[in-house]
Amino acid sequence: MHGLILILIVSLFFGGIVVKTKSICAGRKGPGIFQPLKDIWRLIRKGAVFSETATILTRIAPSIYFASVLLAVGCIPFGNVRGLLSFQGDFVFFAYALALGKFFMIIAALDTGSSFEGMGASREAHFSMLAEPAFFGVIGSLALYTGRTSFLDIFTYLHFGNYLSYALGSVMLIILVILTLIENSRMPVDDPNTHLELTMIHEVMVLDYSGFDLGLIQYTTNLKFAMYAALMANLFTGTLRALPDILIFLGTGFLLAVIVGGVESFTARLRMGRIPQFAFSLTSYALLLFLLVLFITGRFS
Amino acid sequence: MKAIILILFAISLLNISISNRLRGFARLLTLQGFLLFVLAFIQLNEVTILNLVFVLLETLVFKTIVLPLFLDYVIKKNRITRETEPYVPYFVSLLIVTVIILASFIIVQQIEGLSGNTLFFIVALSTIFTGLYIIISRKKLITHLMGYVVVENGVFILSLAIGNEMPMMVNTGILIDLFIGVLVMGIFVNKIGDVFQEANNEYLSQIRD
Amino acid sequence: MVFGYYFGLALLIIAGLVFSRRTQGHLILLGLFNLLQWSLTAYAGLHLNSGTGFFKVDALAVIMLVVLSILATTSSYHSVFYLQHHHRLHSTPERAQSLYYAGLCLLIMAQTGAFLASHIAVTWIFVEITTFAATIMIYHERSEESIEAAWKYLFVCSVALTLAFTGILFLGIAAEEAGTVNLFYDSLVTHAPVFNAFWLKMAFLLTLIGYSAKMGIFPMHTVTIDAHTVAPPPVSAFISTTLMNVGFVGIYRMYAVVARTSSFTWAKHVLLIVGMLSVFVAVVYLVRVRHFKRMFAYSSLENMGLVAIGLGVGGLAYYAALLHLIFHSFTKASMFYQIQQVHQMFRTYVIRKTGGYFRNYPAGALVMLLCFICIAGIPPSGLFISEFLLIRAMLAERIFAILVTLLVLLTFAIWALGKNFMQLIFAEPDQPIGIQSETLNPIHSLSQFVLLGLVIYLGLNPPPQMVTLINEAIKIIQ
Repeated sequence: MHGLILILIVSLFFGGIVVKTKSICAGRKGPGIFQPLKDIWRLIRKGAVFSETATILTRIAPSIYFASVLLAVGCIPFGNVRGLLSFQGDFVFFAYALALGKFFMIIAALDTGSSFEGMGASREAHFSMLAEPAFFGVIGSLALYTGRTSFLDIFTYLHFGNYLSYALGSVMLIILVILTLIENSRMPVDDPNTHLELTMIHEVMVLDYSGFDLGLIQYTTNLKFAMYAALMANLFTGTLRALPDILIFLGTGFLLAVIVGGVESFTARLRMGRIPQFAFSLTSYALLLFLLVLFITGRFS
Repeated sequence: MKAIILILFAISLLNISISNRLRGFARLLTLQGFLLFVLAFIQLNEVTILNLVFVLLETLVFKTIVLPLFLDYVIKKNRITRETEPYVPYFVSLLIVTVIILASFIIVQQIEGLSGNTLFFIVALSTIFTGLYIIISRKKLITHLMGYVVVENGVFILSLAIGNEMPMMVNTGILIDLFIGVLVMGIFVNKIGDVFQEANNEYLSQIRD
Repeated sequence: MVFGYYFGLALLIIAGLVFSRRTQGHLILLGLFNLLQWSLTAYAGLHLNSGTGFFKVDALAVIMLVVLSILATTSSYHSVFYLQHHHRLHSTPERAQSLYYAGLCLLIMAQTGAFLASHIAVTWIFVEITTFAATIMIYHERSEESIEAAWKYLFVCSVALTLAFTGILFLGIAAEEAGTVNLFYDSLVTHAPVFNAFWLKMAFLLTLIGYSAKMGIFPMHTVTIDAHTVAPPPVSAFISTTLMNVGFVGIYRMYAVVARTSSFTWAKHVLLIVGMLSVFVAVVYLVRVRHFKRMFAYSSLENMGLVAIGLGVGGLAYYAALLHLIFHSFTKASMFYQIQQVHQMFRTYVIRKTGGYFRNYPAGALVMLLCFICIAGIPPSGLFISEFLLIRAMLAERIFAILVTLLVLLTFAIWALGKNFMQLIFAEPDQPIGIQSETLNPIHSLSQFVLLGLVIYLGLNPPPQMVTLINEAIKIIQ
């Protein structure tokens, strides 16, 4: 329960901090921290317009997307306290709940009949397919290292004893950050501020939505960010008490937002042909990490 | 600590397979040289001081500093273009190198009697095969030279595994191969660049039956 | 101590050659070097089984050193005339000539070191130096083709020697596990039976693959084929004979390490396979080859394959292999020396464009005829004796299938060689040439008559010292 509330809180100010960081890096003062939230509130109160060729899929997809992300959020524990939906093997459920939401967004994008959206949908599917084994590599390494199979148990039993586990932890953190960037369609994979449809990946999938649906999708993006931040924060908590845990959660969310904003300000988007290599190299790194953990725990085939 | 350095070395192998610029490739070779320097420092703790200083100087000075500078000199002198020009797309290269690392992991697991040097063998074997793969999948001759350096690094890691007992092996191998091999090959790339307009593999196909 | 003097003096002479600019200086230094080489050979012949430290004079080394010294003298002699002729035609700079002579002496010195080495890593170092020296000489003509061949030779030999070094490392791992850290050949041979079989086999395989680039057998024969096509004939005479002997010595000593272990039969099978594949590849290319030097290169590949088969068969075949090696060195060297004069007359190496050699230059044609008789293994050639002994050994070991295949392949090889030699000596060229303004000097053919005469004489009437030496050399692997 605590986890869910904290993630919701982080999601409220996440988008604002990203925008603020980008503005400060560009030398401007920028809008307030809650401006994106106000935009979402405005969108929610508006009416929606749907295309004539769209079927019911377009109408229900954003809701399914939001619901799937909520389900995934439910798996994440908070320190010692279990999430609403923690069970053995829930990290697999986590990955596939997110995949379900993404699947519905993709076919809804195809449903509108616009070629731009189809192109963006295929790219999105391609890149997340290439980066998905990275997630399993990281979580699998953690599972192998601690010998447990649910998020709660993994993070509770994760001990950072010797420097080797610190090194492991930092590499996993880096991989998770880059994975966040890929999954949420940020730089260097996708530029959210581009207005050229040929260069969009995620933005072009949601071109045809308006009103409540668009607001929901934008809020879901924030929620996904907060969810990944919570996942990262869990690497550091574990058996701490409540107050330091809360501070670490909020701090990690803040730091992640600043990092995302920094990366967006200072890097350019990769050439489209280089993105599959980038995503797959993440998978290869995660594979190496897995081999290292196999080696450390002495479990040879 | 050794495990971390070896894994970082394997990560640099992956980066080599997707590097599309010659300068980037040369910088990765610098990184590999530096990692080998640290590894040699940690691993060789039972040899005499003279041998140790010799090996360290050689990795640090030659592999980390002189070799990339020399490669830069050859690239500039022959005005070689930036691209690496592989025969297969970079994505396929990345896939193949990942498969090579996996395969060497599985192969080394089958050997008994390795006395704790397993990770050395895995990384050394994958480096050698990755180096050979880079040699055969690139068009430019300078990349052949760099692939040869990668193979050399792999053999160096292998010799570090037994370096404590036989320091002479470590010294001989690296000295002769690097000084004679790489320097002379670099000179040859210069000469080839002088004669042909581009130091490419395609121009070197005149001798045939 | 003596070897230290030898290497020191040799390096001095080489340095002198690099820096001297005048032809007289080159000739004097070259003569000095040959004198040095012969004195070392005489010393080695007189002090058999002596030597300390990293160098040791054993029977195999003495045989190889005598062959090397003879061929060094003839190669120096022919190099001088080749460079004069080439300088007249293309006016090569003085620096190129200095480098050529320096490379020649460096090659001879490095080969001596490789033959005499008693530590496995020292052999490897000297073989690496031979790569470097040979590349300098292959590159001498500075044409596009020679750059290509020199680059390929340097690169592939370096990679192959890296593989051989990996093999030595595996041997080191095996030795470390067994408790010794000594990689001298004597210590290796005594301790080998207790080595881990897996490491030993891997070491043997990698050393075989690595040194196959030097010996010119499958799988890395391609580099020597290309090098021979382009290198100057005196250089080719050296590379295809004594350098292949160096590769042989490297493999042979490794084979001796494996000889008393349980992996011996496996190693013999590997050598048999490698030899058969070499002969097969050689014959496939021999029947359709169009360039003289390339044909000689493939013939070297075939003969080295026979030597490898000899090593793999065992028994009497060991004697046959060493005999074959010695005779092949002399025969192949004279073939290359003679082809130098053919090139002087016809200005080309393409087989179809040559012909009528007998009419124009009988001495050289006689040499060529004798060469053909010797290389094809027709009696009274010494190579006939060695091949006969090999076949007898194969019959004794009862490996009939391989024997029949080998005989069929050799028949094809003899046919191909005969066809091309006869085209040169007797047939009419496709494009008739004008009479060349410079007449060929029969004096230059003298060395080949001597060498071929040696082959025939030693084959029919082997002196007892040679027989004893070869038997001593074989003792290592029995």
